[in-house]
Amino acid sequence: MKRSKGSATHRHRALPVLLLLLSAQLPRPAVAEQPPWAPGVERALDPSSRLAVGAARVALHNYNFHAASPSGLRALGQVRKATVKSIPGVGQKCYLQFTTEDYRSRENAGSCLATVLYPKKKSPPAVNIKCINTKDQKQIQEEDNRLYQKLKRQTKPITGSNIPDSFGNIEPALEPVWALAVAGSSYMMWEKSTEKVGYFMTQVKSVKQWMRKDDSLEFDYVILLHEMPTQEMISCHMRLIWLPGHPLKVKYTCDSENHRLEDGSGMESGSAAGIIREREENF
Amino acid sequence: MQKIELLFTSNMKLILIVSALFGAALSLETFVGHQVLRIKTKNEEQIRKLQFLETLEHLQLDFWINPSTFSLPVDVRVPANSLQAVKIFLESHRIEYSILIEDLQAVLDREKQDMVASQQMERSSNTFNYGIYHSLSSIYEELDNLASEYSNIVSKLQIGQSYEKRPLYVLKFSTGGSNRPAIWIDAGIHSREWITQASAMWIARKLASDYGNDPSITSLLNKMDVFLLPVTNPDGYEFTHTTNRMWRKTRSKNAGSLCVGVDPNRNWDAGFGGPGASSSPCSESYRGPSANSEVEVKSVVNFIKNHGNVAAFLTLHSYSQLLLYPYGYKCTQPADHAELNALGKAAANAIQSLYGTTFTVGSICSTIYQASGGSIDWSYDYGIKYSFAFELRDTGRYGFLLPASQIIPTAEETWLGLKTIIEHVRDNAH
Repeated sequence: MKRSKGSATHRHRALPVLLLLLSAQLPRPAVAEQPPWAPGVERALDPSSRLAVGAARVALHNYNFHAASPSGLRALGQVRKATVKSIPGVGQKCYLQFTTEDYRSRENAGSCLATVLYPKKKSPPAVNIKCINTKDQKQIQEEDNRLYQKLKRQTKPITGSNIPDSFGNIEPALEPVWALAVAGSSYMMWEKSTEKVGYFMTQVKSVKQWMRKDDSLEFDYVILLHEMPTQEMISCHMRLIWLPGHPLKVKYTCDSENHRLEDGSGMESGSAAGIIREREENF
Repeated sequence: MQKIELLFTSNMKLILIVSALFGAALSLETFVGHQVLRIKTKNEEQIRKLQFLETLEHLQLDFWINPSTFSLPVDVRVPANSLQAVKIFLESHRIEYSILIEDLQAVLDREKQDMVASQQMERSSNTFNYGIYHSLSSIYEELDNLASEYSNIVSKLQIGQSYEKRPLYVLKFSTGGSNRPAIWIDAGIHSREWITQASAMWIARKLASDYGNDPSITSLLNKMDVFLLPVTNPDGYEFTHTTNRMWRKTRSKNAGSLCVGVDPNRNWDAGFGGPGASSSPCSESYRGPSANSEVEVKSVVNFIKNHGNVAAFLTLHSYSQLLLYPYGYKCTQPADHAELNALGKAAANAIQSLYGTTFTVGSICSTIYQASGGSIDWSYDYGIKYSFAFELRDTGRYGFLLPASQIIPTAEETWLGLKTIIEHVRDNAH
């Protein structure tokens, strides 16, 4: 309680601040990032902490890739509950409950329960995720089929660049191709994510269709990923094959190092080691 | 060549010659009725026929892709009066073709219309469209318009020059007085965060037009001044328009490196050199050779110090939908953490009230990452208690490439958040 200085004006000035303090919810202390913790003990995470939000994103990348459905893509809503457990010799495991939205319409798409295990050795996080569907799954399948038919009907190979463009526009004719890019990029982003580094798909720099004799659709993409917290833009080459109702096939290579000349060309390999060391230092 | 000619009927030759004469007589300069044909050849012989066609100069064919190998299509612009002849030629030799562009002039007209329309929108002072993204010159022109339209309360100041010698313009909102306590707002320190410069322009007009109409803003400007820097990093902003939409840093040259630019939000004198900023010039978070090495940063620091009475330091970034207070360079809480957190939460509630957009509130370190050399850490340690950084829309769907349709809603909700903080400062800071 602020000690009043005795004059009416001072008390008056202190009042609004006091009201704010009393009405405010004091935030929980930042516990999650301070090691070491007793192994095997599950501890609560602030749902808005970067570990919780990051893990939820990783879980959704995994979901979006496995769903292989451009019409059924989900984006993160809010993390409702999050806990983390340190498993000695294995890694960190997050337990999450979060809401999701339809990627395009931002309508509520239902909530998910997921576990994300970040292994000690550098390998993709292991994800288990189960989601409720608020949207009719049959409807999503029909939308995918409509999309597929539209793309299949094209006699000329589809090409495009800068999707969205600088102003955030996506040509309606290229929306399905962009949605497929999101689904395919989810695979790359899932594999590359760690507790400390996460990704967002920023832009399709270019896309070219490879016409196939069978029923599948095949696309060659150059994708720009935004890497956090380094803020780097990573360029990835991605080959994607899609047939509705079948698993997505994705092959990719990303520019390995995050230090590059302004136009995207790489640097000599001698600096790569310095870069990796540096990233570890920052954390 | 002669062998091929023998394959033509004399009728065909006649058609070609007549059309050539006809074309020569008209000598049109527009592309009305011109078509672009895509020709798919199947063998060497068909290629040779096309190459023969190429030699007939009076047809005035313009090959966009030349006939060279039969595995690649040949695109050719055919003037209107040569069309029939060319098509008969192709069809009689069973050479496959399709119409790529049915009327070239129509396509060109549409393109020109679009360009002129957007140029007109940029040029006309009365119709600066606050709902689209603008070039640097267009923004700078509108700053002059605002200063003249609201000359009783708005003036334009230059607080310095960028690395490439572009002016750093600040709008001052003031109803007089002498060095009144001031609110500082800046946008676009990271050039690719286009929603921030765009929102700052909307906020500038809103602030100016609300004086005398909105009681809260009227009382604010009767007591305090507001300084708004809409484009903190004009070199970077220009670069995002001309060369690389994803450019983040300044455009300063780095000694001994081919890589350009310093992260201006790692360059402030707050934990400079600490974790969360890179020492490599090629990194997006390169801190620079020393604190305040970037003239853009130094100019703001000098302005704030010389002013001497700045009560709040508010900076706009994107994306992530966060409302942040210090610290970034260390993970300990600032002394005023309780008040800042409460105020942040009130501002986030105000933002949410408009379109439901949720902002997460917290310190930089606990919410995003440890990052040294940030602006609000510097301003807070300098003594400006009310130091906040906003990360505007969205949360990753479009990221930096936020559609223009979201500019005004974003600016509107952001303004409510800023207002909440500003009103609190007005009522508490002395």
